[in-house]
Order: sequence, then C-alpha cells, then structure tokens
Amino acid sequence: MDWGAFNLSLQLAFYTVLLLVPIAMLTARWLATQPARRKAIIEALLTIPLILPPTVMGFFLLVSMNDTHALGKIWRSLFDESLVFSFEGLLLASILVNIPFAVQPALRAFEGIGNDMREAAATCGMSRWRTFRRIEFPLAWSGILTGGVLTFAHTLGEFGVVLMVGGNIPGETRTISIAIYDQVQSFDNASAALMAGVLLAISVLAISITFLLTRKPYIRIRA
Amino acid sequence: MSRYNAISPVFPDSNYTGLMIRKLLASLLLTFLLPGALPALASDSPLVAVASGMQFAIREIADSFQQDTGIELRITLGASGKLFRQIENNAPFELFIAADDSLVQKLEQMQRTRAPRVIIARGRLAVFAAHGSPWQADAELRGLASALDANQVTKFAIANPAHAPYGQRAREALQSAGLWAQVKDRLVIGENVAQATQFAISGAAQGGIIAPSLLMSDKTSNRGEYALLPEAWHQPILHSMVLLQNSDETTMKFFHYLQSAKAQQILSRNGFTPVL
Amino acid sequence: MIDGKGIEVAIRLDDPVSLEVEFKVSDKELVALVGPSGGGKSTILRIIAGFEKPTAGRISVGAQQWYDSQQKLFVQPRHRRVGMVFQSYALFPHLSALENVLEAISERPKVDRVELANGYLERVNLKGLGKRRPDQMSGGQRQRVAVARALAREPDVLLLDEPFSAVDKVTRIRLQRELVDLRSDLSIPIILVTHDIEEAARLADRIAVLHEGRILQMATHDKLSKSPVNTDVARLVGIRNIFSSRVAGIDNEQRSLELQWGKSLLEMPYRNGFAIGQTVTWCIPSDGIVVHRRNRPSRGEHENPVFGIVNEIFQFGQTTELTIEVDDPDAHPLHCSVPTHVAERNEISVGADIGLSLKADMIHIMGSADS
Repeated sequence: MDWGAFNLSLQLAFYTVLLLVPIAMLTARWLATQPARRKAIIEALLTIPLILPPTVMGFFLLVSMNDTHALGKIWRSLFDESLVFSFEGLLLASILVNIPFAVQPALRAFEGIGNDMREAAATCGMSRWRTFRRIEFPLAWSGILTGGVLTFAHTLGEFGVVLMVGGNIPGETRTISIAIYDQVQSFDNASAALMAGVLLAISVLAISITFLLTRKPYIRIRA
Repeated sequence: MSRYNAISPVFPDSNYTGLMIRKLLASLLLTFLLPGALPALASDSPLVAVASGMQFAIREIADSFQQDTGIELRITLGASGKLFRQIENNAPFELFIAADDSLVQKLEQMQRTRAPRVIIARGRLAVFAAHGSPWQADAELRGLASALDANQVTKFAIANPAHAPYGQRAREALQSAGLWAQVKDRLVIGENVAQATQFAISGAAQGGIIAPSLLMSDKTSNRGEYALLPEAWHQPILHSMVLLQNSDETTMKFFHYLQSAKAQQILSRNGFTPVL
Repeated sequence: MIDGKGIEVAIRLDDPVSLEVEFKVSDKELVALVGPSGGGKSTILRIIAGFEKPTAGRISVGAQQWYDSQQKLFVQPRHRRVGMVFQSYALFPHLSALENVLEAISERPKVDRVELANGYLERVNLKGLGKRRPDQMSGGQRQRVAVARALAREPDVLLLDEPFSAVDKVTRIRLQRELVDLRSDLSIPIILVTHDIEEAARLADRIAVLHEGRILQMATHDKLSKSPVNTDVARLVGIRNIFSSRVAGIDNEQRSLELQWGKSLLEMPYRNGFAIGQTVTWCIPSDGIVVHRRNRPSRGEHENPVFGIVNEIFQFGQTTELTIEVDDPDAHPLHCSVPTHVAERNEISVGADIGLSLKADMIHIMGSADS
C-alpha cells in the first residue's frame, strides 16, 4: 500500500474541488441566465475536456505548461520552478479537466430554479447577492454538491492526463492510479489489487454520499 | 423529523437538517485533510530515474543503501527514452540511469549534467517462452523460427523500439536472426521492457524478447524457460548513469554507492554483467 | 395625474410582441387588463415591474420615474417598490410562509420584522400558518402568502397576474372577496390581469380591453357592455348579438334612428354621425332582449318586436340561454337568456314560436360598416 500516493491523490482531489467548485458554481449561475445561443456555445466549450481523449488533453497541457510556452514561462518567472512534473501542474491540469464535471450539474440546477424565482426575489427588493445566498444557492445546492463529488471521484481516478503532465514523481505526482499502474509493471499484483480496492471503495462512498445529500426534501410548486 | 425540512446548508437560519449536513461536511473535510497528516516521503530525498529493466536490481541496491546510510530514495521507473524526454522537459530528476549510453551522452552534450557519466553494467537479451508454450526458447532462436512457421506464435512481446533500448536491441537481434520480417506483424509492444515482460510471462503473448534481469526476482522466476541471445546480434546494452544539474550531495553519495563492490554484486546477481 | 399620485404608463414594445399602450391608474383604483391569451397583458405587468424593457416610453408612479426612454432612465426591478403576485405565485419553496414574507421586508430590527410579517399573514387570514412551507399548503393558502409577500414590500403599485386562475371556483370566490376586503386598507393603484371578463367585472373599477397589444377601450364594465367601441370589445365583453344593418331612417326632430334589420325596422334613440343608407355595425347585450310572455302580450313588450323560432336551448342551472332564428333569412340568430322558471312557464322549447322585444336604449351602434 503506497500511502504516499494515496495521500497525494486525496490532496489532489481535495484541492481541485476546493479551487474548482466555487468558480464552477459562479460560472454556472452566470451561464444559467444567458441568452440561449451564447449559453449553448459556452456550454459546448466547457464540455470539451469531457470528450477529448485524456492523452490529447495531456498533450496540449504538456506543451503549454512547458518552460518554453506561455503558462510554463509565467510559472517559472513567478516561482522559479517547472510547472510540468509538479503537483501544482497536476492541480492545474486537474482543474481544467474537471470543468465539465463541476459545471454541468450546477448549471442544470441553476437553470431548474426558473426565472420566476429570481423575479420574485427582485420584487421583494433583494439584492443580487442576497438573492444568490438565500434563494439560488440553497435551491441549487444539490447540483453544486454533485459537481463537487463527481470532480472528487474523477480526480482520484484520473490517469492519462496525470501520466503525461506529471510524470511519475514519487511524493509529487505519483497518484494512486499511477501507483497502481507502476505496481502492475513491477509485477506486484497484490499491492495493485489492494490499492485498486481502496480506490473503488472511496468512489462508491463518494457517490453514495451524493445520493444521500441530494434527496430533494421539497417539491417545486407548479401552480 | 418532517420530510419537508429543506436543505439550507451552512446558514444561520437553518434547522436540524442543516445541522446534520454541517456535521457531515465537517467530517468529510477531516477525511480529506487527514491524509495531509500521513507521513509523506520527504521531497528532498534523492529522485532517481531508472530504466525499467533494472527495477529489481535498483530496489535491492536502494534498500542496501538505506540500511547503510539511512537515506531513503525515490525511484521512478520507465523506458529510457521516455525518461530522457521528461528530463529534457525539466523533470526534476537528480540521477538518471539509462539502458542506452547514447541517451546519457546526449544529456551531457545538452549540458544538463553535473559530473561525467559512468557506465555501470552491461545487459543482455533473453528470449522467453512461458511454461506450457508450444515452443522452446533457445539461444539461436530455432525454436521460435519453427514456431513462427507453424503459426504457433501469434503474439510476440518486445519493448517499444521507439523509446525503449531493450526494444531497439530486440529488433536488432531479430533482424540478425532473419526473423524480423516474419515476426514484426505479430508483435505486442510493451511500453517498456517491464511491461513487455508482463505480457510474456502472463501468457498474453506467446513469448518475447526481454531483459533477463527481470526474470531474477521471486515474482517472475519460474514462469517459463529462457535463453540468452548472442551479444553479437545486437548493439551492446550499456547501462550508463549520470548526475543531473539539480542533484545534491546526498544524490552524489548514491552515485558513488552504485559504483561500489556491493552494488556491483547485486547487479551481477540480477543478471547484469558488471563493468567496473 | 395632476396631484402626482397613481401610476402612468405609456409604452411601446416592438419585439418579441408588438405592444403600444397608454393608461393611468389612480390611487385606490383597481384596473383589470382583460383580453385573449397572448394579447400582451402579462407583458405589460412585467414591463411595469421592470422585467422587460420597452422599446420606448415612460412609466411613472406618484412622483417617481421608473422608466423614461428619452432620458435613458431605467430603474432596476429590485429598486422599484412593486408588489407582484405571479401566476405561479413564485413562492420560495424552501422557506416557510413567514420567511417568504420576511424577505420582502427591508432592514429593520429583527423583532420588528417578524412582528410585521406575522401581521401581514394575519391580514390575509393565514394567522398561525407562518411556519408552514409552500408544499404543506393548499393553493388558496399559497396565493394568500404571495399576496402577503407582495404587500409586505409596501409597494407603490400592486400587480396581480391571473392570481385566481390556479384555484377551484369556491376558493376563487373566497379569495376575490378577500381582495375586495384588502382594498379598503390600500391606497395604491392595483392592476389585475385576467382572462375572465366576469371576474374583471366583479373586482375592477375600470376594465382595459386588450387585443393584439393595443387597448381597445378602457371603461367601467357597465359602459363596455352598453357602449363597446367595436366588435372586438363587444365580443370580449361577452356580447354575442352583433349585426350589420342599414340606417333606414332618421327622425326629423332628431330624436330617433331606424335600422333595417332584415324585415324588421328597429327604432333606437338618435345618434349623431350617421346618414341614411349607411351600413352600420351594432350590438345589443343579452339583457337588452325581453322575451314575450306566451299568449299574453303586454304594452311594454311591444318595443321593437321581433318574432322567430327557438333554435337551441342551453339550461345552465337557474339560467337558460336561447338561440333564436329570427323570421327572416337575412337576420342572424339572436342570443338571449331567461331565468329557467320563466322558460318553463312559457313552455319554451326547441322549434317553438317566440316573440321578443329589443330594448331601444340598449341598441348600440359601434361604427360604420362601410370601409
């Protein structure tokens, strides 16, 4: 059991969720009220990481995070470190790759609230922030949470992109899925099976929690 | 509790369900943060990139090194060509042990190294047939030749010639034996020689040309028959190592340790021909 | 308004629907916007609330300007003190009734707000139900919460978008009565959108008849029934007896006018602006038609007598509606209604003869038919 890799994967997943979900939530909220055409285009763009093969994503990220390209250059000038093969590079890649997982459920949830809720809030004199905090956020909560859990579970399992962008640096970019792969190649099927089992258990736990927490205890009123 | 209590998370006006949710969230957070408390490998322990063919030998040497000095190592295995690319792209390795001296020479030319390189071992190729195979492994590949003629071998494993030295050498050997044309459409390519070995010993392929060093461990021995191929059939497999730019004193210790008699013994036990 | 109170609306909208209306509603006045679906009624409310932006125009409430296209002024909905009851009520489903009302009450010490909110709930007869959530309430109760919330805003104008359409008849009657009761406490203009002309008649001081984005006529229900301005208004107000006839005669002393309706000559009080020979469109409401008692003609019933055969009978409880084929192939069928006991007493049945009088002062000419 490679605790280091386990640790690393959990941290990667946690930080990805921490950084991505708030941004995704606000993006989803904004997108929910955009005119149809613009919404369709932006939604399609945000869904790209979902349909691109991980190796393609990994390739593009690898190239742009390189020291010789924009992202890598900026990073190096700020931190004097390479962005590729670092945890931070993985985190960035993970955030980008998980955008559709975090945004989509939240977007559906915000759309589902319906304009008359927002209008009613306006007639009550509520500010935009208060409307979001008191009305939209609680009503969209299950979608936001689902997005977070999906992101978490997906990050734990991410392989292709991590391999390309992270290499396999123990303690830095050797996540649990890379470790499993490594152990198979080291002819250590027993360890690989154990780690795979742990990963599976966590994923199942995550999904179960989502289902539990997203049971809607109220019904939308349709007059 | 009434089913109609709404979800009103983390806000002061919430009620019983809200409280329950906050507790749940707190425990989830703890679960995530707890791993941070788990011991992680110190990130200043030497980071070594090693060709896959040497994985068992290097682990033994690393264990021995740790016993002797208390220093733990972080080892990344892979095809030499792949590791080379990563180093080229500023992967933070400190020591590189490749199965191909020319790759290490290139790094020296690119001025990414800190001290002159050292060749520490010579490897061999082995042809392998798992137990129960319809053909026999022999040093002249006669068994393989007839198996190919009789169509008894439909999948044959080698490492990827594109970036694994063992793969390139395997191709050279097959060419020397005049079997390349026959076998090349039946190849199963491993990403590195370890994966190729996996294919061969698991039966996914009906045999392969792999590194004999990988057959020395308990996990892999006695899975089949193998024979060493003549060194004249391929370019020498020279395992060369070099300290990279960002290496430190600790890594240099290991670099020297690898040249010690103890290390050389471990290498030869694992199927390598020591050169020092 | 000269005294600066009430609401004045003058707007034009080009798309997505074409709309051009101008009207005023005084304080304490309730105006109903009536018309067929899609006519723009709800859109007008939404424009007043600020959810849609007109192409041009002005909206002012009291001394405040909410919208003025010339000054490029547009006040955001949340800054307009508008109380709106949505057709779907739009209650916040995860909040209790009390919390719903509380959202409309602006900054004040918490204690005061709760007391105020409870006060509003009490005013709409929901005392004690503050803790309930919308899905634990009946349709009528939800509507009341929506009204309470709208009033809690202390709005300058109250907008009601088909507020009774989602409940059953009994509840609707009750809610209508409650609205009438509430009005006594309110001194703001109220605009009610409904597709039900009878509801408008019961509740509104004036009715604006809306058709394809234009106000055809805005007046009391009485005036609309007696003097609808054109065929569309007449139909919308429920008048079915609409005909075209030629002006046959004008009395010299200018006291009466005669219409040639089929074979009958109808007499009605003089109206200016029409010449002999002109074809006009005219109408008469159902209650302008009196059924002759069988076998017992009396003097008053001889006004504009007309004879025909009963074609259809529809008995709706205590009222019976009749369609009569007037004894003339050129004249169109007449519609009228009588109390059911009268229909029975007079043995009115399909195919039976019947005599009617068209009350002269109920005949209303809407306009020229030539053009």
